[in-house]
Amino acid sequence: MPLFEKTLYATDFSPLAEVALDYVKKLKEAGEKEVVIVHVVDDLSVELPEGADLLKEKELYKVLPEVDQEYVMSIIERLEAVKDILEENGLSAKIFLRYGNIPEQIVSVAREEKVKLIVMGAHGKGLLTEILLGSVSTDVIRKADCPVLIVKKREE
Amino acid sequence: MFSRILYPFDMRKASLNVKPYILKLKEAGCREVHILYVLLPSEWGLLAKEEYDSKEKIEALRGALDEGYVDALLRRFEKMKELAEEFESKGIKARVLMIPGELDEVIAEYAEKNGIELVALGITSESLSFFRVGKLLDVIKAVDKPILIVKTPEEEGDEEV
Ligand SMILES: Nc1ncnc2c1ncn2[C@@H]1O[C@H](COP(=O)(O)OP(=O)(O)OP(=O)(O)O)[C@@H](O)[C@H]1O
Ligand SMILES: [Mg+2]
Repeated sequence: MPLFEKTLYATDFSPLAEVALDYVKKLKEAGEKEVVIVHVVDDLSVELPEGADLLKEKELYKVLPEVDQEYVMSIIERLEAVKDILEENGLSAKIFLRYGNIPEQIVSVAREEKVKLIVMGAHGKGLLTEILLGSVSTDVIRKADCPVLIVKKREE
Repeated sequence: MFSRILYPFDMRKASLNVKPYILKLKEAGCREVHILYVLLPSEWGLLAKEEYDSKEKIEALRGALDEGYVDALLRRFEKMKELAEEFESKGIKARVLMIPGELDEVIAEYAEKNGIELVALGITSESLSFFRVGKLLDVIKAVDKPILIVKTPEEEGDEEV
């Protein structure tokens, strides 16, 4: 059964999201073929329409102040780096960079792309280091229609 | 990463829907599954906090518990045994047990003590049964291991199997 064939990896580039990437790689052994890598931006200096696609909608990009353009560029580079890692591992991969409400955008990419599983960290870059379950993970668990793999701390 | 999986099982359709995922994870190294039923204090009152992992141990509860309760427990245990056999027949070692206590505490503690690498939870979309949303989030917070959450639409998920 193709239960893990197509997965979504949500990353905020935090250490725990990186641990989650190890699980994404491992799932290849259980039939995973394709990975959709997603990052959502919600902190630009101008307001963009909810769900704006920062990779495809080039005009949007041009309206952004220079600092934001640089920021978005740096994120695209990081997403490309993750894509390279997965491809080196024999998986096919594509990247998504959306603007808007983070959990909602993750769930909507999951729907559009009909992924079978979402893989993410239990927490991320948030400033509360003692947090056990971040707001993004909590909301994705609530709203996703597909299974979710929540990764906790690195295995010793 | 997936060699020893804890599978909390609550007899509902929703928790049964996790089974194919665990079977599939055999290809990614799953060797052992621990099928656990948590005996909630609200259902069974106070029981000695031990691992009820055989029919004999459950039989021994007659006297302490209402006959009907013990019979129901035995039926559940049988059902879990059947599930275990299915895993065994596919080459995954299976252990079946019941432990009394709070859901989050029992699952987290068991996972920690037994070298569990993944907890696989089946829930209904609205989680109105065993794993109510709040309770589910408590479990995820308490557990230190990766957690696979498999959802089943509410209408079917609450059915007893
Ligand atoms: N902007 C994002 N884009 C894509 N995935 C994200 C984003 N933010 C978080 N995630 C995913 O969600 C996981 C949990 O992060 P979350 O944001 O919920 O925790 P946190 O940052 O510690 O807490 P909070 O954001 O609530 O302060 C991360 O490990 C990552 O997988
Ligand atoms: Mg965050």
